Amino acid sequence: MSSSWTEWLQNTPLAVTISEDWFPWVESAHVVFLALVAGTIFLVDTRLLGLTSRNLRFTYLSDRLLPWTWGAFIGATITGTLMFTAGAAIYTSNAPFLIKMGLLVLAGINMLYFQFVTFRSVAQWDNGRPIPAARAAGAISLVLWCLVIGFGRWIGFV
Amino acid sequence: MNLHEFSDWLSNTPFSQAIQITSWAIPSIQVVHIICLAALFATALMFSLRIAGRGLANEALHVQAPRFARAILVLTVFLLVSGTLLITAEPGRTITNPSFYAKMIMLAIALAITLWLTSVSRRQLESPRGVHVAAAMFVMLLWVGIIFCGRFIAYVESY
Repeated sequence: MSSSWTEWLQNTPLAVTISEDWFPWVESAHVVFLALVAGTIFLVDTRLLGLTSRNLRFTYLSDRLLPWTWGAFIGATITGTLMFTAGAAIYTSNAPFLIKMGLLVLAGINMLYFQFVTFRSVAQWDNGRPIPAARAAGAISLVLWCLVIGFGRWIGFV
Repeated sequence: MNLHEFSDWLSNTPFSQAIQITSWAIPSIQVVHIICLAALFATALMFSLRIAGRGLANEALHVQAPRFARAILVLTVFLLVSGTLLITAEPGRTITNPSFYAKMIMLAIALAITLWLTSVSRRQLESPRGVHVAAAMFVMLLWVGIIFCGRFIAYVESY
């Protein structure tokens, strides 16, 4: 059952066109979007850790960076989905791909916990060094996104 | 010694051989390369936006510009080191690849414009001028082109 929908998907005209002609272009666009997603997140994470932008309020930095993060995330999701269609039957049994998807879920949970729990007290640490919970969120995010990139690159090597 | 001979010599050096026979080495170096390029790309975007008077515009540009430039240059060094390791591991894939040379030419131009914008920002430019904003946007296009050419090294035939 699970193999039939992936085989149907990768035999659709769009998926065939991508795998035959467009794959390098879609993949390169994916790298541009992921660079913007991960790069802007790194700048926010290292601010949470007190390593960069210490002279900027946390909310000032995050308000200006996160719209770029989300815009690029939409682009990375679209290009990633297009790449997935081109080899759906292979990717669903590709361990690095499945681990990467799991790591993205963990990064999302970390972000939601930060947003709805830790961030509520931002007024107290917006200017100075973030509280331990905020620093932990930054460290976890930094590690998870490096791993997302790592396993993402590994998809093509197995 | 022509490029092909150099490439053959390099790939037979013990160091290159050591990278080649370590199965996880090339993907690992590529991952470090991608992580650094992500940080550089986001930093370059913030610098370009700041030149246009947007983004992180809470401080004077002449204070901020050297900080952006320093981060971009430090990350460039990491990228050159990891990139050199990748060339050493697979010289035949890169040294004679047109996409690699297109990437290096764009990189040289992007770095030159970044340094020029940094020096102009130090002296003046509190209110952005058209030519500087245009140059800042052009640098972002170059970084996108550099990323595309980098990925296309895997797809373009070496000569």
